[in-house]
Amino acid sequence: MTEPFLVVNDLHRSFNDYKAVNGVSFTINKGEIFGLLGPNGAGKTTTIRMLSTVLPPDRGDIVIGGYSVRNNTDSIRRLIGVCPQELALYADLSAFDNLMFFGRMEGLSSQEARAQAMSNLEFVGLTDRAKKGRVDKFSGGMKRRVNLAIALMGNPQLLFLDEPTVGIDPQSRNNIYETIEMLRDRGMTILYTTHYMEEADRLCNRIAIMDAGIIIALDTPYNLKSKLGPPEKVNLEDVFLNMTGRSLRD
Amino acid sequence: MQQLRYIWFIAAKDLKIFTHDRLALAFALLFPFLFVIIFNMLLGSATNNDTRLQLHLVTREQEGLSCQIINALETKDEALLLPGEPVIIWDKDYTAAYNAVENKKLAGFLAFPENFTANITQGKATQLKVITTSDATYIRAALSGLAQHIVSKINSQNIILEATQELLVENPESGDWQQILSSVLADSNAAISTESIITYHVEKIGDMEQENPSNYVIPGYLVMFVFFTAALSAESIVRERQNNTLERLLATTVKRESLLAGIYFGIAAKGLIQILIFWGVGLLVFRIDVGQSPAAIIILSLLMVIMSSAFAVMLATLVKTQRSAGSIAVLTSLVLAPLGGCWWPLFITPRWMQFLAKVTPHGWATTAFNKLMLFGGDFQSVIPEIIALACFALAFGLIAILRFRTSAV
Repeated sequence: MTEPFLVVNDLHRSFNDYKAVNGVSFTINKGEIFGLLGPNGAGKTTTIRMLSTVLPPDRGDIVIGGYSVRNNTDSIRRLIGVCPQELALYADLSAFDNLMFFGRMEGLSSQEARAQAMSNLEFVGLTDRAKKGRVDKFSGGMKRRVNLAIALMGNPQLLFLDEPTVGIDPQSRNNIYETIEMLRDRGMTILYTTHYMEEADRLCNRIAIMDAGIIIALDTPYNLKSKLGPPEKVNLEDVFLNMTGRSLRD
Repeated sequence: MQQLRYIWFIAAKDLKIFTHDRLALAFALLFPFLFVIIFNMLLGSATNNDTRLQLHLVTREQEGLSCQIINALETKDEALLLPGEPVIIWDKDYTAAYNAVENKKLAGFLAFPENFTANITQGKATQLKVITTSDATYIRAALSGLAQHIVSKINSQNIILEATQELLVENPESGDWQQILSSVLADSNAAISTESIITYHVEKIGDMEQENPSNYVIPGYLVMFVFFTAALSAESIVRERQNNTLERLLATTVKRESLLAGIYFGIAAKGLIQILIFWGVGLLVFRIDVGQSPAAIIILSLLMVIMSSAFAVMLATLVKTQRSAGSIAVLTSLVLAPLGGCWWPLFITPRWMQFLAKVTPHGWATTAFNKLMLFGGDFQSVIPEIIALACFALAFGLIAILRFRTSAV
């Protein structure tokens, strides 16, 4: 549990004059679910984009599984899976076709992709809808589950989940929680961002709270709550609001 | 090698999405033929021989001079008419002809009055009537001309007749006056018939082969719809960029260049299917003539696909939203098509329009197809057009490569 799998060191990224990420450093251990929380515009998504190698950092370094993002992006890409905040899938294709396509893009053979697609769809409870109808006919919750199943293609060791439960009903959300817990039990390392504090409290081993491009707190949910009062009487939302303030961000 | 496979996977995926979308499929593959059929019919009838002008004559007399005039003018055998000569038809029933004009079933007719012969022989005034519908301008003019011709001829005859009668009255001993009269009338007829010192001779040399309108309609709509379908693909590229699908792909082991190439070949594959169907249907159904250089036709078609696909990717890199990509794709396609001679042959347009067409890739493409399929041009004759299309493709492609981005941010 203490073997570091992802090491982020002094990460910076600006867009024109706006500093989206301004010196972020943290470590995620193997098999850990690491929560990255923060208000809108805090820099969470920019951080995830840099970690998933699609956005080069201005400064700093990221090491994943021993590979630096500076010179080993291909090796890193084989270790990671990304579930973006948006439904990044092909609405005109079936769930199975989506998974097959992303599987092939992960370098899987046709047989491997087929096997993993069926296994992942079963994992998120969509076996019966695998080939039935296009994804755009699915409910919001089902689309989110397809989005997650795609991220699991190629059996990544590190999974980035950027707000995977946005805009879905409690049943679908619970299904995603259970899926994530099963992935943790399998030993997968997960970086998780969310605006739902009870979700982070339930799933994450450690939580980093980001604001204005920097990490303002990093600890276990229990320790973070302890800073404000008795942990059993304080919830994570109180801690979050206490640290980031109550003013609107967008 | 792996990157080539990625390019293939992306292109195959786009093609699969295309074939799943029935509306897009119909728009790209069937809709153009609707235009082809309609314009074939329109332009086909436009190139047919003009129908002859039909002039109807009616008399209210049962017999007499008017019947003789109409009988002389009536067309007995249409095959003997020279080009431009009207068909003269003798309608026997005045009331029926009048009602036909009233009901707009007949454009008009020239009517001789009931007492025409009597009035003429007695030297009294009489009147020919031209009866037409209000909008039959050409028929009215033609009938009026015919009426004037008849009137002037009768007046000439009358003048000669009167002069002869006066001469005979002044010199009653001058012999057989009836013989003299007929001799003078015959001479006057001959004099009147020589109306012009200029004569023309029409010689018909075999049947003229009518141009198959498909020879310019099909290439025109091929150019238009290959470009249109490709341009509309810009919308889906922007959609993929906005919902982060492109960025998600970039987080796999696919390289940016392979991603761009995959998208490009996906669009090009649709264009290839379109040109295959266009030329296939054109040859088999519309019996088009591809001229003496089918190789040039193939190269031009491929260049059209290459250029249009490059335009689509370039457009996607220049706009921010899906809506603007769609709007600009439709607008450019609908402006460039008529400007570039896709809706009508450029060679029938004014010089300034032909010059303007050179600004568009469509103009170069349709000019080349017209050269090859209508004017017997060979490969050499379309080399400038091939180079121009390649330059357009290169320019669009370079902008697309330089500006291609996977993220909306």
